Amino acid sequence: MTHNILLVAMREFRQITGMRSFWLTLLILPLALAVGPIASRLTQSEKTQRVMLIDADGRAAAAIRARLDTDHQRRVLTALSRYAQRYGLDRADPGALWAQHDRLFGDADVAMFAKAGGLPAALAAMRPATTSETPKFDAPEADFVVLPTPPAIARAAPGALDAQLKPLLQPGEFGDKTVKPLDYAVYIPRGFGVQTADVRLWSSEQPGANFVQPLQTVLTQDLRTAYLESTGLARDQARTATSLVPAIAVSTPAPGGGRERMLVRSVVPLLSAYILLMSLLLSGNWILQGLVEERSNKLIETVLACISPDELLYGKLAGTVAVGLTMVLVWGLCATGAAVATQGAVGAFLQAALAPLASPWIILVMLYFFLAGYLMVSMILLAIGAMSDSMRDAQSYLTPVLLVIAMPFTVVAQGVLSNSGATAIKVLTWIPIYTPFTMLARLGSGVSTMEIVGSGVLLAVFIGIEFVLLARVFRASLLNAGQKPNLAALARLMQRTPA
Amino acid sequence: MDALVLDGVTKRFGERTAVDALSFAVRPGEIFGFLGGNGAGKTTSLRMVLDIVRPTAGRISVLGCPPGRENAADLGFMPEERGLYRGMTAIDTVTYFGRLKGMSAAAARAKGHALLDRFGLAASAKMQIDKLSKGMAQKVQLAATLVNGPKLLLLDEPFSGLDPVNQGLLEHEILEAARGGATVVFSTHVMQHAERLCDRLLLLSQGRKVFEGTQAEARGRLPARLTIVARDTPMRCPGVERAEPGAADAQGWRDYDVTLAEGIDPADVLQCLTEQGVTLRRFDQHRVSLHDVFLHLVGTPPAGPADPAMAEHAA
Repeated sequence: MTHNILLVAMREFRQITGMRSFWLTLLILPLALAVGPIASRLTQSEKTQRVMLIDADGRAAAAIRARLDTDHQRRVLTALSRYAQRYGLDRADPGALWAQHDRLFGDADVAMFAKAGGLPAALAAMRPATTSETPKFDAPEADFVVLPTPPAIARAAPGALDAQLKPLLQPGEFGDKTVKPLDYAVYIPRGFGVQTADVRLWSSEQPGANFVQPLQTVLTQDLRTAYLESTGLARDQARTATSLVPAIAVSTPAPGGGRERMLVRSVVPLLSAYILLMSLLLSGNWILQGLVEERSNKLIETVLACISPDELLYGKLAGTVAVGLTMVLVWGLCATGAAVATQGAVGAFLQAALAPLASPWIILVMLYFFLAGYLMVSMILLAIGAMSDSMRDAQSYLTPVLLVIAMPFTVVAQGVLSNSGATAIKVLTWIPIYTPFTMLARLGSGVSTMEIVGSGVLLAVFIGIEFVLLARVFRASLLNAGQKPNLAALARLMQRTPA
Repeated sequence: MDALVLDGVTKRFGERTAVDALSFAVRPGEIFGFLGGNGAGKTTSLRMVLDIVRPTAGRISVLGCPPGRENAADLGFMPEERGLYRGMTAIDTVTYFGRLKGMSAAAARAKGHALLDRFGLAASAKMQIDKLSKGMAQKVQLAATLVNGPKLLLLDEPFSGLDPVNQGLLEHEILEAARGGATVVFSTHVMQHAERLCDRLLLLSQGRKVFEGTQAEARGRLPARLTIVARDTPMRCPGVERAEPGAADAQGWRDYDVTLAEGIDPADVLQCLTEQGVTLRRFDQHRVSLHDVFLHLVGTPPAGPADPAMAEHAA
């Protein structure tokens, strides 16, 4: 029996993997994953926004520019601190500012960082602790760049600014598509803080909080300073009072820890659930094509003269599972290739992502649910194939079946990543047709052994019953031509063992 | 030991009886014709022999064993409705079926090449089936049936759909297989093939056996007919049932259309006429065809309108 099953499986495997469409479809996924980020990078707009400051007094513009620069340096310092912590570079200079990870960096810290030489000096200080494995520090891009104000605009009367600025904010509308548009223009009127003139902001789109907030901070500080001065407070005291900020101590998990760790650990399990779904969606057609060909070509009788329907069924299942595993293997090889090629940050990420697989138990569990899922759905597809005279017939059954199976996947994936909808996901785990997908997706976020074993046993029982019932449909339908069984007929086929 | 025995075999699909208490035996080395119109139960009987469907009642013995895939190594089966894997090459197809029948890969491939060579397909052995002509594909199917050198060859309507060249090839292969010691059972509703090939035959009508025996025995079931030209009537001879006289010529010679009673040998009538001194100018014996026998026993022409196999199974 095993001999015949293997022969059928090998033929099935060769037939599917011999098709050009198999390899094309197989390589679409890694290609899409590779092209996606490149395309997104190519199409991504420049992050740094262009700002123009029109300061009638020539006083506030410098403060705004300094504010924007300080905020950017703070982001650099924060990123540098996480980088040092993640790759153990603190040991190069434990007293350095970037080796402190327990507080928000204030303006004074940023000033100190700049005074000590800023980013180049910090990277040089870290260098002794770096290894060949340490990826390059990727400094955050500046959010804003302040452009020099053209003299014509600087001299323009407030009422003429709208007309002057419009070509700069929307150059496309004025026929000049080569000029980069201005994102923000700010006009600070003469006597701001003393008289009640309005500050004006022009924006090429809805203004973002990341710009409005620092602008407001600087201008508010100016207003308050002016007010305190008017109450008789000395200028320096007034400035100190308006620039006071609390020191905030921060406790966060180390990079790669906490929620981030959970997300990273969920990547491989989620990906395996996605791969299971994708490989089933893709191979579903090939499974059906093989069986429909045998039926429509009247091959089935010749085959059944040599082997039993059960051998044919198990052989096809084995061949199908082998095709599925080949797809996973090819995708795995592509991922490994990508990891080796990119190394650095991707390698470190992969290392963290593959951490759940360090446990043989988890590998076993993933393999079990993956194979069980494949068998469960393949069996349904084979029963559909046995009932169909043509691919059109088969598609009419296949589409609703795959929709029912695939639909909740998005909800499950989102739920796992956002840690929401826990109850719904737990319920889905116990519905056998969703068990493999849900369980695979959840493995990274921690599932109790009881739940794994319980849902695994339930799934095994379901597959056992499915095999008995659908194998009856398969056997009874193999030689029937021109008959589309309705639900009642299907139920009858499941109830009896055909002669 | 008989190569194939069916003993009181009945197959019902729901309310319909496809095969009704069928009994017959096929001797080793025999070419056995399984004749009947469409829907007579031929395909169902062959499927029961192959264990593709199980009988409702009765016993079947195939080469001394009950039906089952254990016999596959000794069987060659060609179904009425044929097809091959379109994406496989000719040699891979033959090898695959050889292996399904228990042959080693090397032996199946070697025998496959030999058969394809014999059928004039050596140059096309590595071509995919969908690149072959229909006639070539039919030869590949025949090679897949014969690859294991079967002891019992079961052919369901083997000549249907074959071009004349391949019909000749198939007849040749059937005779070759029998000469090599194989037993051949083939179903057909084309009586000419049966007349040329069969040692013995069985006539099936609506699932029931209506005749089993040799061709001579089958013809014996129909009264012989003679045309004689004589001056005297042959009615005086025993066994002559009817003698329709034609018009006499100037010399008194007259045509007689003579019908003999069932089982009467025309030679006995000739002897009788000679002994009685009846001078004959002509004595023609009309050979009864199997088609005539079929019409006589079954009552309808062998090729009916209904589709046999699928209708049987589906019912």
